[in-house]
Amino acid sequence: MNDALTAEVLRNALVVTAEEASVVVVRSAYSTFIVEGSDASAAVLDVRGRLIAQSMATTLMNSMALKVALPFLLADHPPATMAPGDAYVMNDAYRGGVHTNDLLVYRPVFVEGEPAYLTATMIHVSDLGGLSAGGMAPLATDIFLEGLQLPPVRLATAEGIVPAVEAILRANSRTPDKVMGDVRALLAGTAVAAARLSSLVTEYGAAGLAEGIDAYLDYTEARTRAALTELPRGRFTASYPIDDDGIHPGRPHTVRVTVTLPTHGTEAPHPVTGQSRVRGTAERGESEGGESGGGGGAPAGAPVVVDFEGTGPQVPAAINSSASQSMAAAVFAVRCFLDPTIPMNDGCLRAIDVRLPVGSLLNATPPHPCGGRFVPIYAAMEAVFQALSEAVPERAIAASGILQPFSIAAVGAPYWIHLSYDFGGVGARRGLDGPDATGVHFGIGRNSVPQAEPVETRCPMIVESVETIPDSGGPGTFRGGLGSRTVLRFLAPCHVTTRGDRLSLAPQGREGGLPGRLGGFYRRHLDGTLERLPSKANNVRFEEGEAFVVETTGGGGLGPPLSRDRALVEADLRAGLITEQGARRDYGLVIPAASPARPGRS
Amino acid sequence: MRQDQTACGPPKVNRDKRLLESYVIGVGYQLGVDVGGTFTDVVLRAPHGEVSAVKCLSTPDDPLLGIMSGIAQALGDVTPSLITRVVHATTLATNAVLERTGARVAFVTTKGFRSLIPLGRYARVEEDRYDLRFTPPVPPVAAEDCFEVDERVGADGSVLVPLCPESVRRAGREIAARGITSAAVCLLHSYADPSHERQVADLLREFVPSVVISSEVWPELREYERATTTIMSGYVGPLMASYLTRFQDELRSFGITAPVHVMESGGGVMSAVQAARRAVATIESGPAAGVLAASLTGHPDVISFDMGGTTAKTCVIRNGRPEITHEFHVGGKGSFGGRRAGTGVPVKTPAIDLAEVGAGGGSIAWVDAAGALRVGPRSAGSSPGPACYGLGGSSPTVTDANLVLGYLSPRSFAAFSLSAELAEKAVDRVAGALGVAREAAAHAVHEIVGAAMGSAVHVVTVQRGIDPRGFVLVAFGGAGPMHAARVAGRFGIGTVVVPALCGVASAAGLLAGELSTERVLSALSAPDPGAVFAALEAAALADLGVAAGAAGLRVERSVDVRFRGQAHELTVPWGPSVDSAFFLKYHQVYGIAQEGEIEIVSYRLRLTIPAGRRTAGDPGTREGPTGRPPRSRLAYFAECGGYVDVPVLTRAAVGSLRGPAIIEDPESTIVVPPGWGAALSPDGSVTLTGEGGA
Repeated sequence: MNDALTAEVLRNALVVTAEEASVVVVRSAYSTFIVEGSDASAAVLDVRGRLIAQSMATTLMNSMALKVALPFLLADHPPATMAPGDAYVMNDAYRGGVHTNDLLVYRPVFVEGEPAYLTATMIHVSDLGGLSAGGMAPLATDIFLEGLQLPPVRLATAEGIVPAVEAILRANSRTPDKVMGDVRALLAGTAVAAARLSSLVTEYGAAGLAEGIDAYLDYTEARTRAALTELPRGRFTASYPIDDDGIHPGRPHTVRVTVTLPTHGTEAPHPVTGQSRVRGTAERGESEGGESGGGGGAPAGAPVVVDFEGTGPQVPAAINSSASQSMAAAVFAVRCFLDPTIPMNDGCLRAIDVRLPVGSLLNATPPHPCGGRFVPIYAAMEAVFQALSEAVPERAIAASGILQPFSIAAVGAPYWIHLSYDFGGVGARRGLDGPDATGVHFGIGRNSVPQAEPVETRCPMIVESVETIPDSGGPGTFRGGLGSRTVLRFLAPCHVTTRGDRLSLAPQGREGGLPGRLGGFYRRHLDGTLERLPSKANNVRFEEGEAFVVETTGGGGLGPPLSRDRALVEADLRAGLITEQGARRDYGLVIPAASPARPGRS
Repeated sequence: MRQDQTACGPPKVNRDKRLLESYVIGVGYQLGVDVGGTFTDVVLRAPHGEVSAVKCLSTPDDPLLGIMSGIAQALGDVTPSLITRVVHATTLATNAVLERTGARVAFVTTKGFRSLIPLGRYARVEEDRYDLRFTPPVPPVAAEDCFEVDERVGADGSVLVPLCPESVRRAGREIAARGITSAAVCLLHSYADPSHERQVADLLREFVPSVVISSEVWPELREYERATTTIMSGYVGPLMASYLTRFQDELRSFGITAPVHVMESGGGVMSAVQAARRAVATIESGPAAGVLAASLTGHPDVISFDMGGTTAKTCVIRNGRPEITHEFHVGGKGSFGGRRAGTGVPVKTPAIDLAEVGAGGGSIAWVDAAGALRVGPRSAGSSPGPACYGLGGSSPTVTDANLVLGYLSPRSFAAFSLSAELAEKAVDRVAGALGVAREAAAHAVHEIVGAAMGSAVHVVTVQRGIDPRGFVLVAFGGAGPMHAARVAGRFGIGTVVVPALCGVASAAGLLAGELSTERVLSALSAPDPGAVFAALEAAALADLGVAAGAAGLRVERSVDVRFRGQAHELTVPWGPSVDSAFFLKYHQVYGIAQEGEIEIVSYRLRLTIPAGRRTAGDPGTREGPTGRPPRSRLAYFAECGGYVDVPVLTRAAVGSLRGPAIIEDPESTIVVPPGWGAALSPDGSVTLTGEGGA
């Protein structure tokens, strides 16, 4: 077969392998976050630490951890020590992991008696301890408050799950049966993918498969480089603020980025002096024999350098990120300005040079908490979006509202846990309004928001309403997406934990567009009054009959609102996306007194 | 692609009187009518199994014109009143959905959930994940046409807020004022207690002519999918009702008084009345008929492989029965052939579980930015069509590559000749860009489209944990038999069957459809499953209009089961050993040996009235294509080092041979690669046998 064909066939086969693993995990897991949200990651990697393929319907954020953590696993457990049937688990945030509640499971795939590949899966498991049930600890000041830490350990052998590991996991979980159900699901996913990969070895031969994979990664690198080369040359800077860290009110935190697209033939610029340079990974623990190291391994002369120099220092609060997550954010944000059909594997990573200052919000060191990593890395993504919007104005996007995670749990054993999130509105794009109440970051969609009926079947609560908030989209020639309001009334006392951001610093509009409306978390008392909760709150007790209200933030608008097409303003009014007051105030719409409710007919 | 051959001419009658294997013997004559995008196929089966087939052009503006003309030709001398049954596959519902030509529907739901449909539950998968300019799919009902009524039912069916009739009337008045004539009602937890929905429907009917409620359409937990299924029913129902009424009128005025049955997506057939009421169940009507045709070959384990001009469709048939899914996604997408959850409008109704990929004879080959050869998903369609058609197309297509490779000859198509020169010129465009020889480029195109089709096989087998080896690949559709052996080889499938009459396979498949209906109810661990099943059975009997205990009636009961604490279920047959059946299936599907406390989420019941018994027909006699083909021609086979002279035979002359060879007949061209043998079976089908591996 020729190379082009090999790439095409292998792309199918390898990605389907990862995809199949993620499907098995989603359908057999217990963690509500996963089973309703379908958010399980899976990947195929090799013993050199290279990412070969990852599941297609999940977020890059989690999949990247599987890539970045692998060299650390291999350092502790060299391939020569692995036996068929073995599987490994870890969650070490400082060695490629995400945070304590996200378990990474790996299984070596043997070729001619030697481990050659690894299949890997990852989910946010039901509970692994920490300050609140379900794995969110927004007020943690060090990682020990976030839950059990697991260095890379052997989870299973051909004999089954290692009893000592199971005992440790069970002892550290509020929901021991569910967490073991999740672990079995993770193992099953890696087993399915490993079987599939073995059949590919049979089909292509060991050397044939290896050559095919090399060609696939080279092909991906070539496409990534070609796409990057098409972007305008220059140096583009941006920054994005974080509301607060939940512990130190009033203390500002900012993520800064410089995206450099060097002119052809010139070397990538040197990093700013006085700070260490990192390529997409923590510097410690480089693996042996892994030529790509633990990170992107971008060679000198990469056609893009994404440098987060100037980003604020890590803090003893849960707004820091592990390197793998920041790396994912940078790569994802750059990819949004390239041909979206480029595959995601090591070939793509080789063309993108990501620099994460050690000890910054984006590259935390022990024992700084990493559970709230989405806060700094969403800021990082937004900063790259804004920087590249300057470079490529026709693809510009205003800032967006982001996901607002929350957990609701029984106040004591036996625990029931509802872990979920709602989405903010997406920022407006050139020529396009922002989608309502959905994710733009990491490309997740609304299908990850649980439905009311299954939630009410499982947990003692009534979902009173899920609706868009009129006028919450940032006004503009192109309107920002709307935020949403969800009201959950409790039938039993419970603990509510929140982890929000962009609830006090609104996502800004672009080019004359206005910011999105700020959301928030609220308690609705029995008398109907609303009490605003902090954006980051831990185990707030709610009584039976009280309701928890989640309002998400709208996206920023793009272009002056007064330039918006009148027909679109009227259509928004008819659809209830804006109110009459909003139409007058934000868009200057003159509404005839005779037919106030039906402006579209005038 | 082959089916395009007559697209530019007048309706062409391809009239063959032959015997087909395995068709149901009933009394009287039966008609199968399959309306596709390009062709309307009519198959008439005489009491003793003799079949005549007519293929004529579809008439999209009024499908009945083409149908009645086809029926008239198929009947010939047969008296219309002798027809005892008409089975119809229609794309009416599909087209209404895809082209958005259905009725404007108002959506009515529980207070607080007016945004349910506008917000949607779409997923961003594959390349959409990296697209900042992604725009969610347009919701099936506009935000302004969504209405709320004051009421609330809890998860256990208890009434939390009583229904406020005035809130319903208010909505009804506004719906009527907007001129909307169809309403879909989905209230929270209506599967647990449908009484509010029924009251809402009664009240709304004062204002709106057509009202459908979710507890009647598909009473299953999860409000979004139940709502979209109900909406789609409200969307296509009125259209389907008027169409079927007109069809029956036309038949009557022609002298045919036989009942009309409509193929449903699950491979059963419904009465016309039922089809109008549950129109949403006919969305996959046409493809389902094709799969049934593949199941007629008599092999128990079959992968049906249907390749036309723009897409290839696959389905797995095990133990003679196609796989059925209970949710599919209209207009969904996914590069691996699956219609992914969250990429279309979910419809919760049983459907034959097909995978479809954009790989057909018209798929265009191109070279991407990194210099790799790609094929599809863009198709040249029938206009301008492949370059070799000479209709102005210049892009190289799969058909052009097949002509360059000698798999097709300029005289392969009966209706017009193909231009080898134009095909070569087109293929040279990619060959030049790749810097390879023409035949190498053509061969790569053939291989890549084979890989894409392979992914459709992959989705229905490997991806679901089914080992395709040991299955028989049944190939039909214009282009299927040309690629089938190569696709089979990729999966270690050693047997390919190309049935006789493969050009009208779907219409023939219709006559094998059995009258059936399926009902479901979500009831978490119901205290009295017997009562649930009894209620489902009563409803199903009413669907079919038969009495309990009618002759041959087949009742299948199944349940959706999960481990307590999980959210996803597996469907297993109902019986005393549900637990162990679930544990076994769980192990098969997920590879996890686990036992524990289970809970039943939903109850399903399928009722079937067999259409009759099957019998094997007499051997078919075959005629060659128009004109006498050459006895041999040059065709490209990589195993042979390039072009070699290969024999070209008609189907009737096959007997038994070894590849490389090419078999041409009126419906198809079969490529027998080196390493494969071909033999004519008594039923007129050609069986290819390989060494079982690529």
